[in-house]
Amino acid sequence: MKNEEKKEITVQEKKEVQTKSEPTTPGKVYLPNTDIVETETELLVYMDMPGVGKNKLKVKLEKNVLGIEGEIDSSPYSSLKPLYTEYNIGHFSRSFELSNEIDQSGIKASMDDGVLLLTLPKVPAKQPKMITVN
Amino acid sequence: MFRFTSALDTLLALQEAVEAARTSDYFGRSTTSRGTFPSINLFQDGDDTVIMAEVPGVKKEEIQLQIKDNLITISGERKTDYPEKASVHRVERRGFKFNRTMKLPVKVDIEKVKADYENGILKIVMPRAESDKPKMIDIN
Repeated sequence: MKNEEKKEITVQEKKEVQTKSEPTTPGKVYLPNTDIVETETELLVYMDMPGVGKNKLKVKLEKNVLGIEGEIDSSPYSSLKPLYTEYNIGHFSRSFELSNEIDQSGIKASMDDGVLLLTLPKVPAKQPKMITVN
Repeated sequence: MFRFTSALDTLLALQEAVEAARTSDYFGRSTTSRGTFPSINLFQDGDDTVIMAEVPGVKKEEIQLQIKDNLITISGERKTDYPEKASVHRVERRGFKFNRTMKLPVKVDIEKVKADYENGILKIVMPRAESDKPKMIDIN
């Protein structure tokens, strides 16, 4: 088939988080779809987290593991009765192991239209060390 | 006694209710094109029909909503843009143009339809048309 401009649109089913340890809160938690790209100076992480507000987002860094948790607000649903559904609603959680190349103090996060953008600056390339011979 | 806190209990109950409605035949034999973007959830709120759709990354200005009689069309474009010269490590998100039409089994009062968009979720509240509401008939 020729390379057509029109792409087939199929829905990506939400994936549930599978963990060895049981979560402490009841309910399903989902894995946000993620893109990771690298530029010369930084690593950019884009995550789809629809329904997560800026203030309901937790980004934590422990050792070299970057953990992202997004909570959705279920209160708007309290008066709603589901009649027909195609996707489920739940919190989001995912973590990534960072390499040493990342400047952990310079990590930035922003949230727009349900997409989280994490900017992870790379440590400036180390200069080769000159050793003087005595 | 052990109890869940109410908020968490609500989410779990909500998730179960949402899951249970997955196999509903609400749309009957009309084409709903289940499996196309965006995925929708349809709720009832009193006399109102509420459609929610997850369209993360789509700008508000890029969503078009059209209603004619009981046909509702959601269209727009989802873009996933990166800076130039970026090398890609992992791609799970997809960008594309979308267009989806649904035929509701109820008549909607078009003048009173409200839509809002927040955090990547589109919410359309459609009050049922007066003419479509069931009438109580007194029995003499």
